[in-house]
Amino acid sequence: MRALISFDIDGTLEEGDPPGILTIDFVRETKQDGFLVGSCSDRPISAQRAMWERHGIDVDFAVSKHMLADVKSRFTADVYYHIGDREDLDKRPAEQAGFEFLWPHEALAKPWG
Amino acid sequence: MQCVAVDPITVVAFNASFRLEDNGEGMKQGVDPDDLTRPFWEAANLDRLVIQNCTRCDRLQHPPARTCHQCGSDGALAWKEMSGRGRIYNYGVVHDCPIRLLQEDQPFNVAVIMLNDDPGIQMYSHLPGTPVDDIPIGADVEVVFEATANGQKVPEWRVVAGER
Amino acid sequence: MARCGGGAVSTSPAPASVYRVKEGLGLWEHRGKVAAVGIGHSPTFRRWDGTPENSVGGISLEALRRAIDDAGVNPADVDGLVMDPSTTTGAFWPRGKPLPWDSINAYNRTDDPLDGITGLSADWILANSAELTGIEFTSYGVGCMSNAICVAAQAIGDGRAHTCLVLKSWHNLEGRYYQGGANAGNAIPGSSAIRSLWGTPACFGTAVQFAEYCRKYGKTHDMMAPFIENSRQNGLKFPEGYWAQHRPEEITPEDYEAARWIAKPANLFDNDLPIMVSAAYLFTTADRARHLKQQPVYILNHATSRTRPRSLTPTLDEVEADTARTARKIYEGAGITANDLSFENMYDGFALFHQFHIEGLGYRGLKFGEALDFYQTDISISGPNPVSPSGGNIGCGRSRFWMHTDCIQQIQQRAGARQVTGVKPEIAVSGGPMPVGGNYMVWSATPGS
Repeated sequence: MRALISFDIDGTLEEGDPPGILTIDFVRETKQDGFLVGSCSDRPISAQRAMWERHGIDVDFAVSKHMLADVKSRFTADVYYHIGDREDLDKRPAEQAGFEFLWPHEALAKPWG
Repeated sequence: MQCVAVDPITVVAFNASFRLEDNGEGMKQGVDPDDLTRPFWEAANLDRLVIQNCTRCDRLQHPPARTCHQCGSDGALAWKEMSGRGRIYNYGVVHDCPIRLLQEDQPFNVAVIMLNDDPGIQMYSHLPGTPVDDIPIGADVEVVFEATANGQKVPEWRVVAGER
Repeated sequence: MARCGGGAVSTSPAPASVYRVKEGLGLWEHRGKVAAVGIGHSPTFRRWDGTPENSVGGISLEALRRAIDDAGVNPADVDGLVMDPSTTTGAFWPRGKPLPWDSINAYNRTDDPLDGITGLSADWILANSAELTGIEFTSYGVGCMSNAICVAAQAIGDGRAHTCLVLKSWHNLEGRYYQGGANAGNAIPGSSAIRSLWGTPACFGTAVQFAEYCRKYGKTHDMMAPFIENSRQNGLKFPEGYWAQHRPEEITPEDYEAARWIAKPANLFDNDLPIMVSAAYLFTTADRARHLKQQPVYILNHATSRTRPRSLTPTLDEVEADTARTARKIYEGAGITANDLSFENMYDGFALFHQFHIEGLGYRGLKFGEALDFYQTDISISGPNPVSPSGGNIGCGRSRFWMHTDCIQQIQQRAGARQVTGVKPEIAVSGGPMPVGGNYMVWSATPGS
């Protein structure tokens, strides 16, 4: 089964402002496990790309917060996840775009392998 | 959000983003009239649009205030009934709304209406029945009255038929 | 009650007569007789971390002490304090949430336990500034640093203070901007409902003015991209700013055009970021300034717009009429023309109204409708036409004072990597916030002739 995981940054990842509970290594492992991986954040896209480059993670996408529907149209997957920390800016638009939404603690607890 | 009877098929044809309220979701917040604005809201409940007017200056002002912005009088302010006609002066499309009750309906139109009785007087409108981000600027509109979450009616505006 | 010269007086908002609102007042009577001689900034934070030292009171004390140190004056010689008691970015202490007693009790408190946490009185500052033993004059310039500057400049000119601190601070708490309180409820008071029932975010009025501007002059939103890019680049050269300190991210034109809408045509990057920060300036008389550590930066004028829009939101016609009126007041009181401006630092805390400010000023000969084309030319700090060299709120986070700090630092030639190089920094204008309703000042390397 092919799955795509979209990560919010601020409040979700350890590099966020504020820091979230998901580590960069967590993202790296999902990528290594064969998931389609990227970020969907209010940070400038160039800043998202620079962050991933700094960590040596070759993400599949880096988009603005409202672009999950575009991501879904660009990538074929059996299931699409968005992990974020906001009801209004993550959960609602993710579900509207046809993504399954996970809070960071749910993402940590989920058996991804 | 918009409390109007519109053919659902027509709505779908307009724009997928526009949807009728269902089960009260997306309804405007209720209004608790206060001393300053009570006549405005009471008139709305009777499907009448009234605007504060300084009888000394013969000048309308909105939002209501304790004194006339022109002459400073606090004793010459009265409420004057409007024709309920206006035109669309300007608009924006709200994608990130601070009001929780309206967030389910984002994005939505907010138009600035200028009254025919005095184009200097503006009112906001969601323009029920008008597709999102497809606003006929300059079009004639007429007032309708819409119930909010606590039953208080508020003035809304609809494009007059034939204006699109 | 504030401690003033050993006694106690209450601090009040400055009377309306302090502000130079009308046209035709002629040269400011204190033109060139008041000078800025010290700057102090606190660190920036996105939100309060709950520690006493980073509370709005704590960072304010830090800014004040840095300004005094920067000027090289004895704290006991400071006899005036002008500040804004309001510090909210839109965040208020949640009803029912336990008060932060550890932080409250870390300082000498006033009758209001949240003084120093979600507001700031002169009483609180003086109760926690043992070194300020000579304060004889206190006043509130309510609104912004721009208000406080007008009040302080006038007070020194009028002889009510000799060496005066000017302070503005901001607090920010958890939660999204303006999403709590009444906005989360099911009903609101009738007076608020007239405006807010339709769910317009703070930038809505500016967004629709910009929409009208684009229709009238045939411009498009993407033409703002060079302004945004330039502002952030300048802001990243402002070491006191939020983005430089915490997230050194540029905004490219591609980033700007990909940003989500808040109220179309205003997008995310047209809005500034609420932060915690404090800044203080030290003003004194021109005579005294000449003997202090820093190069004096003279105030040639302060001017104010108190124009009330006719209805819910100013029309483009109202905006243009008022920015032109404001410019006439600025130039008249300072005894200068647009041609004398080395650069401009007008407010940008919605980016989409900066062009209204500079078109009203006639900066570099701009007429209404021309600024977005101007943005496509060289507006950098190294060119002949610097626009917002401070980076403003877009480049540094919301404070509404970067523009003033930058004017002072540029003229003193200590703006560092941000120093303008394409022009000689001699006379500059700053101020805001709104194009209709704001306070403005003219800064100069010389007291004028």
